[in-house]
Amino acid sequence: MTAIAPATLLELYESMVTMKLWDQTALRLLQEGRVLAGYHSGRGQEAIPAGGVAPLRRDDYLMYAHRGFGYTIAKGMSLAAMFGDLMANTAGTTGGLGAGIPHFADPELGILGQGGTLGSCFGIATGAAFSAKYRGTDQVVVCFFGDGTANRGAFHESVNAAAAWKLPVVWICENNGYAVSVPVAESTAGRIVDRAAGYGMPGVRINGMDVTEVYRATCEAVRRARAGEGPTLIEAICHRFRGHYEGDPQVYRTEEETERLLALDPITNLADRLVADGIASEERLGELEVRVQDRIDRAVQEASSAPMPGPERLYEGLYV
Amino acid sequence: MSQATATRTLTFSQAIREALREEMERDDRVFVWGEDVAVYGGIYGATAGLLEQFGPRRVIDTPISETMIVGAAVGAAITGLRPVAELQSSGYFGIAMDELYHKVARWRYMHGGVFTVPLVIRLPEGAKGAGPEHDVSPEALFLSASGAYVVIPSDPADALGLMKSSIRDDNPVLFFEHAGLYAHRGEVPAGDHLVPLGEAAVKREGTDVTVIAWSRMVGESLRAAAQLEAEGIDVEVVDPRGLRPLDLDTILESVAKTGRVVIAHEAPKTGGAGGEVAAIIAEEALEYLESPIIRVASADVPIPQSRYLQQFLIPTAASVTEAVRRLD
Repeated sequence: MTAIAPATLLELYESMVTMKLWDQTALRLLQEGRVLAGYHSGRGQEAIPAGGVAPLRRDDYLMYAHRGFGYTIAKGMSLAAMFGDLMANTAGTTGGLGAGIPHFADPELGILGQGGTLGSCFGIATGAAFSAKYRGTDQVVVCFFGDGTANRGAFHESVNAAAAWKLPVVWICENNGYAVSVPVAESTAGRIVDRAAGYGMPGVRINGMDVTEVYRATCEAVRRARAGEGPTLIEAICHRFRGHYEGDPQVYRTEEETERLLALDPITNLADRLVADGIASEERLGELEVRVQDRIDRAVQEASSAPMPGPERLYEGLYV
Repeated sequence: MSQATATRTLTFSQAIREALREEMERDDRVFVWGEDVAVYGGIYGATAGLLEQFGPRRVIDTPISETMIVGAAVGAAITGLRPVAELQSSGYFGIAMDELYHKVARWRYMHGGVFTVPLVIRLPEGAKGAGPEHDVSPEALFLSASGAYVVIPSDPADALGLMKSSIRDDNPVLFFEHAGLYAHRGEVPAGDHLVPLGEAAVKREGTDVTVIAWSRMVGESLRAAAQLEAEGIDVEVVDPRGLRPLDLDTILESVAKTGRVVIAHEAPKTGGAGGEVAAIIAEEALEYLESPIIRVASADVPIPQSRYLQQFLIPTAASVTEAVRRLD
C-alpha cells in the first residue's frame, strides 16, 4: 500500500481539526441561543468527511450527510456563510432561510445540497453522476449517508440504477451503530457492505475512525469512477461521541459506552501518529489548532454582523 | 395558405412526441427517460421513434423505480441537463411523492435559489379502465407544492406548445396528460409552436355562463356548449391549461362578463382543484355572481376498473349541460 504523503496527512489533520473546532463553536453558539435551528454534532466522525472529500476535485459533486458540517468544510465552503446559515441571517448560503439541518449548496464547488427527508440524496447522486457521464466529463459524485438512511427504499432504486449504468458514484455509508436510537443490529439484516455484491459493484468495509483508511479507500473508489469503471460502496464503521441531536438523552446507550469511545478519537489518534513518525511536533500541531480557531472566530464575527432577512425573503428564489 | 397559418393534423400523443423531438433537436441537454420509453416507445406511443433518432444516450429505459426516475431527474437538472421524465401513470405519484413534492418543487428554494431545476415530469392521468390506482387525476395534490408548475393540456395544439414551453422553462413542470386524449386528433400550427405557461385559453367565447374546465373536460364542455347554444344559452369555455401559474385575469374577466360559473374536472369533487378555483372566485369576484358556483366532478369514490361502472361516475358533456341548466 502506498504511503500517504506527510503533507497530505497534515492537510487531513487540519481538515479534521477545523471540523472539531467548528463543532465546538457551533455548540457554544447553540448554548448562547444564537442558533435558530437543530444541530447534529459530528464529533467523533471527522475522519469520514475529511478522508472522503479530500480525494475530490473542485468540480466533483458532493451529496453530504446531516451529521456535522465537515463535508462542506472539506469541500471549501465559506465558514462565515455556514455560520450565517446557523444563525439564519443574510450571511448564510441560503440568504437567511437558515440551514441547521443543512441545506447548504454551492454549484461552483459541486456542493449539491441536502434533503431533510434522508434518503433523497441517493436519487440526486445518481442523477448528477448520469449528468456527468452524459456531458462527457470525468466528474465524480461522492454521496455520504448513515446506516439508518441506508434502509430507505431510495437506496435500492438509486444504487441499482447507478450500478446498472456504471455511473461515477462513490457511496460512503457512515455506520455509527445507531439509527437515531435504534441499534443497527436490530434494524438491519446483514452487513451494509455486502449489499454491494447484490448490485455487482465492489464494496469495502473500513475503519471509519482512521482517516488514512477512509482516504485510501475513497481514492481508489474515485479512481475507478473517473475511469468509467462504475460505482463503489464503502462502509465506514464509526462512532458518534454525542447524541443524535443536541438534547438527545441517549437512553439507548450507557455513559460508560460513550466514554470508552473517546479513546477512538480520530483526531488525537492521528496527532499521536504524526508526532511519533516525526511528521510534526506537538508544538506545531498546537499552533495549527490556534490558527484554525482564529479562522473560525473571524468567520463567526463576520457572520454575526450580517442582518436578519426581512419578510420579503420568504418570496424570493422560489421561481425563476 | 401562408407558412404562418399552416397547420398539421396530429394526435395528442404525436403532438407530445413532436414537441420532444423538436426540443431534443434544438438542445442537446434535453433527454427523455422513464419506463418503456425507448425501445417500446412509451406505452402511449408518446416517445415512439425518439430512440431511433437520438440514440440510447438521450432516450433511456429506466428500471421500474419511480423514486429514482424523479430523484435522479432532479440531480441531472441541477447539474446542467434538462430532463423529461415519464411516470408511466400519474397513479405512481405516491412512489415518488417525496421527490415530486419536496425535491422537484423545493430543491431550488430551500437551497437559497442557487440552482435552477429545469425539468418536466410527464404524468399520464385520467380514467381509462385501469383501476383505482391508475385512473387518478391527482393534479390538485400539487396545489400546495409551491415551486413546481402544474401544466395540463386539453388538445394536441396545446399539448405540443405547452410541452415545448415547459422544456424551455427554467422552473420544474409537472405535465399532466389525460390518457383518454392520446388518440384525439387536432390541428396543430406548423413551425415553432409555443404556448406560454400560465396563460388560459378561451376555447369558446360566450356571454351567459363561464365553464372553467381543463384536460378531458374541455372537450366535454365544448360539446355541452354546442348543445346549449341550441337552447339559447351562450357558454364561454375557459381552459386555464394548468393550475400554476394560474391565469386569474382571464378567469375573473370571464366571470365578470357572464356572472355564472361552472367548474368541470375529472378528479373527485372533494380535494379537487375546483374547490380552490371556486374559493378564489368567491374572494375576488363574488359581486359579479348571479348564481352559486357549481362544480362538475367525479363522485368521492375510488374509480372502479369496470368501464361499465365508470360511465356512471366520470363527468361528461351531459354533466356540464345539466349543471349549466341548474344555474339561476
